[in-house]
Amino acid sequence: MSSRRGRITDEEINELISKLQALLPESSRRRTASRSSASKLLKETCGYIKSLHQEVDDLSDRLSELMSTLDDASPQAEIIRSLLR
Amino acid sequence: MQGPSTKSFRQAFLENLLVSLQLQQEHTSKHDSSSVGAAMSLHERKLAVKSSADVAMAAARGAGARWTRAILAPASSACKVQRCRRIVIRCRGRKRSLTTRSARAGDGGTSSGGEIARRLVRRRTMALREVIPGGRDAAVDEATLLREAMDYVVHLRAQVDVLRQVSEAVQRSGSSILQ
Repeated sequence: MSSRRGRITDEEINELISKLQALLPESSRRRTASRSSASKLLKETCGYIKSLHQEVDDLSDRLSELMSTLDDASPQAEIIRSLLR
Repeated sequence: MQGPSTKSFRQAFLENLLVSLQLQQEHTSKHDSSSVGAAMSLHERKLAVKSSADVAMAAARGAGARWTRAILAPASSACKVQRCRRIVIRCRGRKRSLTTRSARAGDGGTSSGGEIARRLVRRRTMALREVIPGGRDAAVDEATLLREAMDYVVHLRAQVDVLRQVSEAVQRSGSSILQ
């Protein structure tokens, strides 16, 4: 990814912002106006990333608890691999 | 940019994750016989799982994004230190930021209105830098930050999905084996 410190046009920023808006979940998309401000979108994105981080945190909790109940993970890992293929 | 919803990314991520989880489990079982209590506390285990997931995600994404390098570079030692640093900076940031909901910039705003909007955007951009790995680097301009954010978000989503799949599979396999 080139990090050219040149003149970044407003159009480029706006294009990125609209692309970013397309990534956010439906619920937040409805809340924000079609011509939503950049700052609102940045806030939504921040909040979304934090919520995803929280999900990863919760799932890591759950997974580590599950792993501690298993004696030897090697056969389990094979089973998991075959289940998910 | 490699599509994160493609099977290849998810497979690579899963492979990486399973390898590190397996290593983690082997390490634990090796110590069980010698130590009195559990070698790794549940909290330590959780942190290991979490960093494994991040490293697995970054490695599966490959080069071409800044956030992957930011995760992989200090992955070995500085994990806990980074987390503490992040918490401190977040607290500092919260103290500094004022509620600016009243200062919404109008469409044909005056110059002061525009300045408030710019200040708000700057503050939000700073906040975004905090949550994206490598975002705090001053060399990352706004356009790059937005591109990084998009890339990071889609891969985070895939990480959540795969972690959920793995948890459910382990739960199923665990219950069937224990019976």
